[in-house]
Amino acid sequence: MMSYLRNPNSPIFSILLSSSTTPNIKSILFSQQNQKLVKRRDVMSGGGNTVTAMGGGGCGGGSGGGGPCGACKFLRRKCVPGCIFAPYFDSEQGSAYFAAVHKVFGASNVSKLLLHIPVHRRSDAVVTICYEAQARIRDPIYGCVAHIFALQQQVVNLQAEVSYIQAHLASLELPQPQTRPPPPPPQHHQSQPLFFSTPPPLSITDLPPSVSPLPSTYDLASAFNQAASPSSWATQQRRFGDPRHQYGGSLSTSSATVGLGGGNSDLEALAHELLHRQGSPPPAATDDSPSRSMSR
Amino acid sequence: MNPKRCAACKYLRRRCPKDCIFSPYFPPSDPDKFACIHRIYGAGNVSKMLQQLPVQTRAEAVESLSFEAKCRVDDPVYGCVGIISLLQTQIQNTQALLAKTQAEIAVAQNKQNQ
Repeated sequence: MMSYLRNPNSPIFSILLSSSTTPNIKSILFSQQNQKLVKRRDVMSGGGNTVTAMGGGGCGGGSGGGGPCGACKFLRRKCVPGCIFAPYFDSEQGSAYFAAVHKVFGASNVSKLLLHIPVHRRSDAVVTICYEAQARIRDPIYGCVAHIFALQQQVVNLQAEVSYIQAHLASLELPQPQTRPPPPPPQHHQSQPLFFSTPPPLSITDLPPSVSPLPSTYDLASAFNQAASPSSWATQQRRFGDPRHQYGGSLSTSSATVGLGGGNSDLEALAHELLHRQGSPPPAATDDSPSRSMSR
Repeated sequence: MNPKRCAACKYLRRRCPKDCIFSPYFPPSDPDKFACIHRIYGAGNVSKMLQQLPVQTRAEAVESLSFEAKCRVDDPVYGCVGIISLLQTQIQNTQALLAKTQAEIAVAQNKQNQ
């Protein structure tokens, strides 16, 4: 898990960094038990990104000497060897995150979900489940769908702006004696040029009745290295449509953070540190948070 | 059995009381909606969540829960976060296109001024 997290192109990092997610979600990512799991895996296999099976060795279970995991601590039950939650919820801060997950999803539902997911993908699943749980607790009505709405609206606004600017460019490039730029669109009263006119109100009923699944071989990590092919937006202003069909499975690299102005300082500092360790220039910092140690 | 049971009570195989918290939001014509929500959240959790909300906001809450549950069923690993990542990528691409077009405008304006 640590080698996966050291990858600055890790999709989970870029997603969570650029979203107004709960602070300290990195404590899930860097739980002590995850570190133990990685160290043991690295010693046994010499590296690699795959997570070994949790069972058979109690590598993440409560019998490892570290006490019960955060989930079993919260549930006040014995943490058995091979506990499905143990690698992802440490005994120190995992309880807090598991509390949210249990409140929204329920321990048994999450357990069933994780059992149906391959072991090497469970860490991502846990992070996204925690994110959704925290989002739902913060916003009991819309949860993380509010964020999706905001992003969708941002896309629509940007696309409108691109269309306007392309029309302006076309007018400049036409060989006419008198070229006047088209009248600008209504601007925000804070005089941000061409940006973000008042968005039309979105409703949850605009969401599609169904969302098609991603391909079974969908791999965000590799897909992030491919360029995305933007699709036509002009007819999708108020409908969410089927985003997986619209965007396809190809995504571009996401090293820069695109936030809504509500980025998480802990996660951003963590991303900066990771990028610095990788030797690549960190993105522009939005705050002066000191770099944090990766080890706990 | 009462033929007018809501989808939730039909799924749970129980009597649908008059004050059933699910009945306004899970009509019997759409059984998959509750099935999806129950699979991810569980009926008890959804009931508790709805009880804590004002009545006028429950419909929207159910729709968002239904959407998230559907996303999670379709993509058990990333759920809604997969969509968020796609949208963020789309935003980055559009911003890059915007910057490129603005640069082209600057070049074109320079040419005109010369």
